[in-house]
Amino acid sequence: MNDGLAGEHQSGAMQVVMIGLGEEKFALDAGLVREIIDPVPVTKVAGARAFVPSVINVRGNVIPLADLRIRFGMPQLDNSADTRIVVIELELDGEPVLVGVTADKVYEVTEISRTDVQQTPRVGMHWKPEFIRFIAKWRDEFVIVPNMERILN
Amino acid sequence: MSAMDPTEVFRQEASELFEVLEGALLDLGQRPDDRELVDSAFRALHTIKGSGAMFGFDKVASFTHEFETAFDRVRKGEIKPTQELISVALAAKDYIRALIEDPQSTDDIIGEAILDDLRRFVSSDQPSAPAAEIAEAPPLAPSASRQAGWHLYIEFESHILRNGSNPLDLLEDLCKLGPCFVVPVTDGIPFLDELDPEDCYLKWDVKLHAACDKDAIDDVFMFVQDEMKLTLSPLEQVEAPAPMPLFQLLDEEPVVAEMAAPVVEVAVAPVAVQPAATTEPKAEVAAESKREAATARSQEAKQERGIATVRVQAERLDELMDRVGELVIAQARLTQLASTGSDLSIKMIAEEIERLASSLRDTTMGARMVPIGSLFGRFRRLVHDLSRDLSKPVEFVTSGEDTELDKTMIECLADPLVHLIRNAIDHGIEDTATRAANGKTEQGRIELAAVHSGAQVLVTVKDNGGGLNTARIRAKAEEQGLIAAGAVLSDHEIHQFLFHPGFSTAQTISALSGRGVGMDVVKRTIENMRGSIDLATRPGQGTIVTLRLPLTLAIIEGLLIRVGEGRYIIPLSAVEECIELTAEDERSRGRNFLNVRGNLVPFLRLREIMTASGMPDRHQKTIIISTGETHVGLVADQIIGNHQTVIKSLSKLHSDVTIFSGATILGDGTAALILDVAQLVALAQSKVEKQHISEAA
Repeated sequence: MNDGLAGEHQSGAMQVVMIGLGEEKFALDAGLVREIIDPVPVTKVAGARAFVPSVINVRGNVIPLADLRIRFGMPQLDNSADTRIVVIELELDGEPVLVGVTADKVYEVTEISRTDVQQTPRVGMHWKPEFIRFIAKWRDEFVIVPNMERILN
Repeated sequence: MSAMDPTEVFRQEASELFEVLEGALLDLGQRPDDRELVDSAFRALHTIKGSGAMFGFDKVASFTHEFETAFDRVRKGEIKPTQELISVALAAKDYIRALIEDPQSTDDIIGEAILDDLRRFVSSDQPSAPAAEIAEAPPLAPSASRQAGWHLYIEFESHILRNGSNPLDLLEDLCKLGPCFVVPVTDGIPFLDELDPEDCYLKWDVKLHAACDKDAIDDVFMFVQDEMKLTLSPLEQVEAPAPMPLFQLLDEEPVVAEMAAPVVEVAVAPVAVQPAATTEPKAEVAAESKREAATARSQEAKQERGIATVRVQAERLDELMDRVGELVIAQARLTQLASTGSDLSIKMIAEEIERLASSLRDTTMGARMVPIGSLFGRFRRLVHDLSRDLSKPVEFVTSGEDTELDKTMIECLADPLVHLIRNAIDHGIEDTATRAANGKTEQGRIELAAVHSGAQVLVTVKDNGGGLNTARIRAKAEEQGLIAAGAVLSDHEIHQFLFHPGFSTAQTISALSGRGVGMDVVKRTIENMRGSIDLATRPGQGTIVTLRLPLTLAIIEGLLIRVGEGRYIIPLSAVEECIELTAEDERSRGRNFLNVRGNLVPFLRLREIMTASGMPDRHQKTIIISTGETHVGLVADQIIGNHQTVIKSLSKLHSDVTIFSGATILGDGTAALILDVAQLVALAQSKVEKQHISEAA
């Protein structure tokens, strides 16, 4: 699997956007992120898969809104003042696709170092390991770097 | 945007020229006497040759040159274009196309073989030609007079040498056409102290004693023609070989023109042609100058038209359409906002912008429209080849070529139409013996027509063959387990099985059809364009396949409805009528049927499909939609009204959701989904079938 780390440098440092989902923190590769917007009205798509339940209008484009919390089996919180939509661009089957991802909170754009990368532990995880690229350390906390392509396929 | 690759430009231009060439050749097969067609074929060939050489396609240029030479006798009217000749010419055209598009795949041997064929056909017709020639087309006889040659007066612009052009090389090329008598005109040379060694002061007076075309001479000067003056006049044999100043020659022309009328009469009489060596060139001059005047006029007209059209990359038009789409959405928001406020001036501006936006939308859509004729032209070759391969003579008639459709749609239509036309010839048209036995003309007939019908374009493929064999389709469907034996089905419903994947009634699989892939692909392609396909047949008389297509893929008229809290768009073209769901219909929850003026119409509750929350409205509305002959009711909470719908496709992540064909953005900026009518109808029918099965059980 090609890691496709757009934000990765020679040194192994990686630019990420740190977002919070429920109690967990996720680090999204900054190279994927196109913009971060305030919540907009969503349109439910009947019959769609649970993790892409709706579409939104972002600057005249209708794009799917993905809910990672469903993929990771986390409870859905109501929108709060901190809720944001992170618009990312992914390659799915060789075509670029814009997807919105709901985040309960967006912390900051930061760098995590490859040297801080931890092997994904086999035990003690209640998430599917293929959804996780690796786990890194950030300010004494473990953060998950999700594999967005796998999650959305 | 970066400049386009010149080779790519040549390829594009060539592919258009090939269409012209092919069209002209095929037409020539039907109307061998039409000089205009020969000329247009020649023009296309000539341009391909010229620009081919310019862009380094040397093989193309040399092959085309040979082709041109061989075909020249047709142009001169010495031989008639026969069907065989046309076939070889078409093969030659394909070979040139291959040379341009995929030179690796070609082989010189093939080219040689084609040229040999061509020369053989051209020369084998020779013995019979002259007699037929004089009898049928006497006005063409003066072509023999070209033997006289040409008088050229060549004057280059003084800076010609600086561009690296060498006039001497050009003169040498000219000498290759035939014996030349070249006299330099030196009166333009200044005194030595005024002379700039980089300028060209010489002019040339050339007498070319060769039976070549004017085009051949133009060819020599092709690359410098903008930087020179070339005065060309047919050579009179009586003329003294001494160099003659240009003005004298010019002075002579009125005399020649005056003489023209009587002389032409002489030339028309076949007997007078041969001996009248001295008068003949004058007739030629008159005819030539007349013809030249005519072509000059038509070229002028063409140039005027040329200025009025601009080549635009398709992506730019797509981009423009996107922007207009956004504008329409923004305008809808403005209108909504203005209508809630009380500021009259804002309302006026909103109305003004609405008017502008809608006319801008129409103009932009118009710019994307192309006449469908460009597509129809391709099929003439297909029919020609198929009719030869299957030895079924087929007449191919097209109409409505100027009907305009969205460019993208025209491209998508090509494959489905190929399938339909193949089917029509292979399965539809019977062989000659059967046709004769049934009292039909031996020649089958296929009509391809396009016509506007409201907001739709109907494209029909009609054959006068045997029609569909309903019994055989039914038997096959039963055999494949698609229907129970003895089920009651209308002919129309039986014919629908033809669109079933893997369904083929052809008993033998031929190279053309019978593998059972095709009609389902056709149907899917058409439905992807939000169109529909219909079959009508009469045993023994033929089949008509009708494709109904929307005018454009980008914007449609929609009906905006509300279901629970969600709003949806139904394409207005599918909506038949809107009625209120009566209390009686409401009660019969088990049976999802409506009684519409005595017809049973199944209906779907959109609230259930969309899993809408909250209480349904008290008065539910039903929108009757249709595809072909099938009607289905959709029950919604509210009908909001018409909506100009800018279509946005749904992303890949929602490709598993079939009941929506796309999305749009409403005036308040939220997204709304567009219902896929064909899918909903299929859904309703499968529900009806399930109900039947559960009732039967």
